[in-house]
Amino acid sequence: MDNHQALDPTRSVVVEACAGSGKTWLLVSRILRLLLAGVPPGEILAITFTRKAAQEMQERLRDWLHDLATQDDEFVREFLRQRAVDEADIERLMPRARGLYQQFLLARPGITLSTFHGWFMQILQRAPLNSGSAGGTQLVEQTAELWTEAWQIFLDELHARPDSDTARSMTTLFAELGLSGTQTLLRNFANKRSEWWAYSAGQGDAEAALDYALANLRDEFAVQADCDPLAQLLDSAHFTAAVRALAAGLNGLLKASAPQQKLAANLLVPLDGTLPHAAAFKVLWEVLYTQKNTPRAIKANKGQDENALAHWLEQVRGPMQAAYDAQQAQQIYHFNCHALRCGAALLATYQALKQRQQLLDFGDLEWRVCQLLNDSDHAEYLQYKLDSRYRHVLLDEFQDTNPLQWRILQSWFAASAAVESMPVVFVVGDPKQSIYRFRRADARLFDVVRGFLQDQYHAVHLKKNETRRNAPAVLEAVNGVFCDLPEFQGFERHHAHQQALPGYVEVLPLCDAPDTAEAPKQESGLRLRNPLLEACPDAEAGAREQEAREFAARVAALAGNWQVVDAKGVARAARYSDIMVLVRGRTHLRIYEHALRQAAVPFLTSRRGGLLDTLEASDIQSLLTFLITPFADLALAQTLRTPLFGCDDEDLMRLARDGESGSWWLRLKQSLAEQTASPALLRAHRLLQGWLLLADKLPVHDLLDRIYFEGDAQARYAAAVPEVMRATVLANLQAFLEIALNIDAGRYPSLPGFLRELSELRRADDNESPDEGRVIHAGDALRIYTVHEAKGLEAPIVWMLDANAKPPADRGNDVLVDWPTDAAGPAHFSLYADKESRGAVRAQYFAQEEALARREDLNLLYVAMTRAKQVLLVSGSGAPVEGGWHQRIAAAMGEAGAELPANPLAVGASASPAAASTVAVADVDARLCAPLPTGSRRPVASEAQRYGIWLHGLMEHLPAAPQLDDAQKDRLRRKLNIPTTQIDTLWQHALDLLAAPELRRFFDPSLHLASANEVAYVNGQGQLKRVDRLVEFDDEVWVLDYKTGATTAPQAHKAQLDEYRTAMQAIYPGKPVRCGLILSNGEWANGKLAEV
Amino acid sequence: MNFYDQIARHILRCHAPPDLRGVTVLLPGYHAAQPLAQALSRVSGVPALLLPAMTTFSDWAQSIPLPTSVQSDTSRITALYQALRGHDWFPGADLWSLSRELLALMDELTCHHVALPASAEAFAAQLAAAYQARSGQALQFEARVVHELWYAMAAQDDLDATRAFQQRLAQLAQQVDAPLYVLQTCELNAPERRFLDACRERVAVTVFDLRVLAQDAPRCELLVSALQQDDHAADLQMMAARLGDAAPLHGRLRLFGAQGLEQEARAADVQIRRWLLEGRESIAVVVHDRLVARRLRALLERAQVQVQDETGWTFATLSVSTVLMRWLEALQGDFYYQDVLDLFKSPLLFAEDAAMRRQAAYQFEQLVRKHGVVAHLQDYLTVAERHAPELVRPLARLRQAKLAMASKDRRLADWLAALDDSLEILGIKQGWRQDAAGQQLMQLLALWHEELQSDPLTCSFAEWRRWLSQQLDLNTYRDVSVESPVLFTHLPATRWRSFDAVLLLGCDARHLPAPANAGQWFNDAVRAALGLPLSGAAQRQVRDDLLALLAMNDTVLATWQADQGGEPNLLSPYLEMVRALHGLAFGADLLDGELAGMLAAAQVSPADGLADGLIETVTDGGAAGIGQRAMPRPALPASMLPQRISPSGYNSLMACPYQYYARHVLRLNELDEVREELDKRDYGTWVHAVLQRFHAEIPLLQNCSDEQALQVMRRIGDEVFADALAHDYLAQAWLLRWQALIPAYLQWQREHEQQGWRYQAAEQDFSLPVTDGLWLKGRMDRVDAQPDGAGLAVLDYKTQSVTALKGRLKAPGEDVQLACYAGAIGADKSAFVSLDADKVQAVEPVEDIAELARLNRERLATVFEQLRNGVPLPAHGAEKVCGYCEMRGVCRRGEWQAVPPEDGDMRGVKHG
Ligand code: SF4
Repeated sequence: MDNHQALDPTRSVVVEACAGSGKTWLLVSRILRLLLAGVPPGEILAITFTRKAAQEMQERLRDWLHDLATQDDEFVREFLRQRAVDEADIERLMPRARGLYQQFLLARPGITLSTFHGWFMQILQRAPLNSGSAGGTQLVEQTAELWTEAWQIFLDELHARPDSDTARSMTTLFAELGLSGTQTLLRNFANKRSEWWAYSAGQGDAEAALDYALANLRDEFAVQADCDPLAQLLDSAHFTAAVRALAAGLNGLLKASAPQQKLAANLLVPLDGTLPHAAAFKVLWEVLYTQKNTPRAIKANKGQDENALAHWLEQVRGPMQAAYDAQQAQQIYHFNCHALRCGAALLATYQALKQRQQLLDFGDLEWRVCQLLNDSDHAEYLQYKLDSRYRHVLLDEFQDTNPLQWRILQSWFAASAAVESMPVVFVVGDPKQSIYRFRRADARLFDVVRGFLQDQYHAVHLKKNETRRNAPAVLEAVNGVFCDLPEFQGFERHHAHQQALPGYVEVLPLCDAPDTAEAPKQESGLRLRNPLLEACPDAEAGAREQEAREFAARVAALAGNWQVVDAKGVARAARYSDIMVLVRGRTHLRIYEHALRQAAVPFLTSRRGGLLDTLEASDIQSLLTFLITPFADLALAQTLRTPLFGCDDEDLMRLARDGESGSWWLRLKQSLAEQTASPALLRAHRLLQGWLLLADKLPVHDLLDRIYFEGDAQARYAAAVPEVMRATVLANLQAFLEIALNIDAGRYPSLPGFLRELSELRRADDNESPDEGRVIHAGDALRIYTVHEAKGLEAPIVWMLDANAKPPADRGNDVLVDWPTDAAGPAHFSLYADKESRGAVRAQYFAQEEALARREDLNLLYVAMTRAKQVLLVSGSGAPVEGGWHQRIAAAMGEAGAELPANPLAVGASASPAAASTVAVADVDARLCAPLPTGSRRPVASEAQRYGIWLHGLMEHLPAAPQLDDAQKDRLRRKLNIPTTQIDTLWQHALDLLAAPELRRFFDPSLHLASANEVAYVNGQGQLKRVDRLVEFDDEVWVLDYKTGATTAPQAHKAQLDEYRTAMQAIYPGKPVRCGLILSNGEWANGKLAEV
Repeated sequence: MNFYDQIARHILRCHAPPDLRGVTVLLPGYHAAQPLAQALSRVSGVPALLLPAMTTFSDWAQSIPLPTSVQSDTSRITALYQALRGHDWFPGADLWSLSRELLALMDELTCHHVALPASAEAFAAQLAAAYQARSGQALQFEARVVHELWYAMAAQDDLDATRAFQQRLAQLAQQVDAPLYVLQTCELNAPERRFLDACRERVAVTVFDLRVLAQDAPRCELLVSALQQDDHAADLQMMAARLGDAAPLHGRLRLFGAQGLEQEARAADVQIRRWLLEGRESIAVVVHDRLVARRLRALLERAQVQVQDETGWTFATLSVSTVLMRWLEALQGDFYYQDVLDLFKSPLLFAEDAAMRRQAAYQFEQLVRKHGVVAHLQDYLTVAERHAPELVRPLARLRQAKLAMASKDRRLADWLAALDDSLEILGIKQGWRQDAAGQQLMQLLALWHEELQSDPLTCSFAEWRRWLSQQLDLNTYRDVSVESPVLFTHLPATRWRSFDAVLLLGCDARHLPAPANAGQWFNDAVRAALGLPLSGAAQRQVRDDLLALLAMNDTVLATWQADQGGEPNLLSPYLEMVRALHGLAFGADLLDGELAGMLAAAQVSPADGLADGLIETVTDGGAAGIGQRAMPRPALPASMLPQRISPSGYNSLMACPYQYYARHVLRLNELDEVREELDKRDYGTWVHAVLQRFHAEIPLLQNCSDEQALQVMRRIGDEVFADALAHDYLAQAWLLRWQALIPAYLQWQREHEQQGWRYQAAEQDFSLPVTDGLWLKGRMDRVDAQPDGAGLAVLDYKTQSVTALKGRLKAPGEDVQLACYAGAIGADKSAFVSLDADKVQAVEPVEDIAELARLNRERLATVFEQLRNGVPLPAHGAEKVCGYCEMRGVCRRGEWQAVPPEDGDMRGVKHG
């Protein structure tokens, strides 16, 4: 492909780029070229699929710009050449290229490089005030809890009004689908709420939307109210005549067989009019149709008139099928009446709940933005409000865009055009990698958008089929699977950029279940297992278990022995972390994880709730549960058994025996009192006792930190768990602490709240935010991902597990949507229960859905295979599934049983050992390992001290203006923070002091030359000091210090006053300086002066 | 040269020591007072120096009394709120936060002396011109809202704080009579500028701008070039070349890019302690990322290093407010049990009697778990009166406190007063009084009460609560009681300060500078047209502050998370610039190279911690009892041997002996979950009850028509479900499910009867001696018999599917329930009756039941004999049993699972 066009800043471009072809390189290069062309950063909007991808692009851009700014000229020239800058322009652009770094760093506004959701949030923040987005709203990522709450409120409402339409519809749904079916259906409806809104947009309120949707269904299905298609059919003379003709025809056939005669007789039974219509129809139906509702095979025998029979059958079945379909359409319609009503009501509850709490979820965000931009006045105004308008829009991973997002973009483009700043658009993506249908992405949009951009933006369309990632061997397999695959139209043969990269692909034979027939029972009689001596035979015999064992063994053997090429092109021994394991779904992960554990292979799993399900996380939860629920015996028992305390069964039995009643915590205390506790129990008691008290006081994170620290958690867990698990366990403990940290930073944190939050997290729906698998840095571990999670990732070695699995089947109780790619909203929207209730009227939609699902399954396979840089290993279990992944790859690899190619990576011991970690361990000052008590806490001021401070404050302010009105007095009170209850006493006290005969001359301005309060000075040592009051007379200078509530003798303050005296003497060299304490309260008389 | 000395010299040149009281110095903050005083002392060389008046803009202004009173922001917000509420401009929006935003906008307009045109139309036209936009509805609306509220607020009699400040400054400017010196690092705002201009007419005004001083200081050259740049494309290499031999930052500034939050905190912790050990006496930690700061603080506390915190925490994040919000939540949510539990578990409730509170928490939790009441105070009270009389008093206190708050609409001040009463009743105020943050919170509440005393706005409980939580969000608590060389602070507070060492925490591009707060009001073009500062001004200020900080301090470490959960995270652009320029000019990277290597070894260990290196020995021998452990296999002392076992206990013993041991020997139980929703277990219970009653009424179905049977069944069903139906909507769904099954059940029962079986009894207890001292005890759902005594059958109702039940019976002797029953009464038939979906079917083991029962009993006898002889109970449950086993944390499967077996076994032996 020609990068000249792709990187030309003036052209709109659509690039279809295969996996590994360097989409990020291209996109970032394009941004660089834009900057080079003088586009201000603020005018660039780039949108990618995940936050991680956005961050990586930022980083790449910064690194490149840094290089441009700092490397030598030749580097810069070559760099620009690689990015298809015309040779003639290079010298001219050099200075600019060098300055881009600074521009990029400091530009405000900077480049917008974000996800759709990030960008949507920005839009909302700028939304016009009258667009309904004013006021602070918060984006919620976890909605499970909200859903539960909404469901509860919904039910409460139904309960309160059992006669409402919704309640009645609910009853119908319960009867038809059962509780969990109903729940699933309504939840699925709510998940498709964007589609629902888009479908019913502009219809006014919820009731109107419902009417609109139902009217549509009525029209589409041609449903007539009060019409019974079965009755119509059976009452039609024409039809009954046809049935009789068929019966007669059957009987009249040449040598009619007994079954044919019987059939004929059965046909006539329902015609006698004794049965109700429905029952009659049923009889007739069962005669002519199978249980699966397909026509029964009724064939002519040899010599019979085949055509005649077919004709008679047709005459009967035609109208019957029509009536059947009509009746089913009616049922579907009625079902939708109930289901849509309830769905809409539940949705309304959910929306209202969020509204009350000012919350917005991702779905709302998208819809809000869509609505906002749909209003042209708002959309235009938004353009004006931006500090800088986007002149360049770059869209990454476009195949994962959903129709709503596309609609938003369209509106955005339209509004830009309206304010005459139509952007240049760059789109890159790969329809082959579209795997997010469950999040409503639609790969067909790619072509629509391409057409749109070609039309309106004169965009060029480019294709890239060269990959920089995969070894030729891997590509061969990819090409083998996908070339000439009719369902995978548009696929073009991929080429490897790194021709010499060694690669290897192997499809392991399917593990078959070892004879599933019952293990031969000894006839000689029954023998029952003794549970003490014999473990329960695990279901280990299963085929999947066998696959798992082989997988684990192979992986263990491979690490350290195979040789992979690292990012810099250097060969080294493979580590566990080079291996990426891919599965389609998480259902059976437990089995594979079990096998890995057995084989001592360290691994990280992205299994949701994985962290919280680990033993160590459950330990901490138990401990915390115990701390707030001290009678939770099991929690305490677990806590005692954790490595934190390491108690053994002896200890547990001791506590179990001690006293039949009372909580275990009481028994533990008891055993302490009786001195029967083991050292482990003693330690446990001491620490737990302390933590119980802290649990009342500390925030969760701080409490946990104390527990980790005092319990020596890290060291103890490290010691207790097997080597291979150590890094993971420690990382999990750490991750747990970070959850606590995040929760503590939230509002109104509490320990019970924390534990509740954890259980919510655990229950959180799998669909919740499946964007990114959580990666923790935990040493050398193999990683297990779902294919979805692995999108955008790569690894030298990829193992596809369970590759013989069938794609997940439609589970029913769901929404059927048809959203034509060029439409503003769906053209069809209805709900369905199960396969049987799909109905002929909707067959086309289901067919389309199925075709899309099949295609996506292949996309998923494409994504999975292309993750592998060098090695692709494929395994599976069970009977071969036609069209399954395993079968497809195996077929592409050639005949079964054919000799495997040699593995160029298996070089055994000659591989250089894996490099150890690169951080050099420094020698450390031993004092860093010991406590370093620093700082002190001032005790809270006593009542008397506070009184003194207030009085002091009054004395400072009063002499200047003793006559204050009430308002002034109150202002002074507030300024000094004096409580209303105290002010009168204090006020009087201060006035008394001022008026004390012995002190008058210090306060009455007519009696001295000058005076000042709070006189600050600095002495020769650079110390800052403050004199309470300085009074200058003709012949002397007085330094006064206020002491309230002093109980010590005046002489105790001599040092302090001497300091004052020396300083003031330096300033007033001509007059003697005298110092005195003004005493009040205490054992010294009020209003006295004590000279010191 | 020291910047302060420079200033001191300047001042002393104009004013003779020792009495400088005739001079006024305006400081950015009081922290600058001490170094300035010391510089003055140093430069003047006199033994004592009376200092100039040193003050800040706001304090100085505050000293000027005003004739009218100043309206508090609290009451201005309520005024705005009332205006917004009255207009109904923003249906559904959070008007409190809008009010707050608007207030900020109003203050900004005031502060910058923006005068809005008299008519809204004119203002709209002004906006349209600035936006260069056609005047659409959205624009009109924005103009109208701002315009109207602006004039409404301007019409208020009292001054607001911003205007008061302006008036004070204006008056002050007329009184100034001493020469003025101003220390500055950032742009002054409009009133301050005006004030200085006015002062200049009367006295000499000298401004020391740190940014200007830095420009002239050779040591700051690099910083100035890197940071005082605009965003035009400049050539770094040329800049570096121009720097020539400027002083490198090497040794003065280091950067540490951490792998994640923990490493950043640890690096900071170690560095701070290293500085302390070096004897540094003032260490500032400038916090850009609160999360890391929190983590860092905890780490420092491990080493007993206390932290003086100038940053503080908003009240919303403190536990003193948690109890308050829990209380309000409980009130609003009709005392939903979790809120009440949270409340009872808060140490600040009933503070006068902690023991009583703990007891109440305990009893309340028991009550909820046992009796399934999950809301309504009155319901708790009713149950408590019957089952937990001690709980009545605490609950009654809640009720009393609730009464204090009972009302629909009130004025904010009245809500606060009512709150105060309720808190007193609940003993929360008592708790607050003993807590520094609590005391401040109490003062705040009292202050708001006072400020809102005459405010007329009335609102509902929910509105008031939202107001309160916004208030708690806006106000900050600072713990001022700690004195420490380690100080947490924020960037603006470092102006003109120098420390022995500075740690800049969280310096990534996201935090430094923080993103411009664009807000919904206007854009830069409009702001420029109105005369407001542009959105970039705040960021420029951050940059200036950073420059000033680096200019004033010689030991600085800046940390950030270069990697955050696997995502790259960029360094602050400012530091990035400094780093790049430094690299070019001096060929040296500012990245720290040694800290990362120290972290592991520089951790403080607890008093009785496993010392380093001990890990190895522990792993080998288990001296401290925490080495790697093998599968536990406890042997029971005779005294602990159970004397009875139930079929389900026996099942547990089969599934995993250790599980049996934990459940039935240790008698550990999971706490009953508080169940808020009906589930399948409830359904099972009801179905059992219905069938029991049905057969009691109609023992023989043969005698009765389908119609009749159906009626009876339905009636009983309605009765049994009635209670649930009354308080739970979902009961209906379960009832419907049951009703759908009735025909199938009757059908099955008829067929069953046709085989000669007759219903005999339900819920039969049995007790069977197995060996000396061991009884097998249990209860059977139903017993049937053949009429002539030719056979006995035990039936057990299950709501599981036939497939699931067949699975349970697949391996003989693994599920012992049916065999136990059969053995107990010598039955000839023993079956599960699957009541699932729309099908009813009996499921029996294929083996001969009598034989199975015999073997089953023999095995039980053997096992107990072995237990008596010290054969241990191993934790060898099958993987799928463990998956649902609540004892996983006790047996520690997972910890020893990956220990290679031989190895593990040997250790097990050593452990003894
Ligand atoms: S987790 Fe497994 S091994 Fe442990 S007690 Fe439970 S069933 Fe037994």
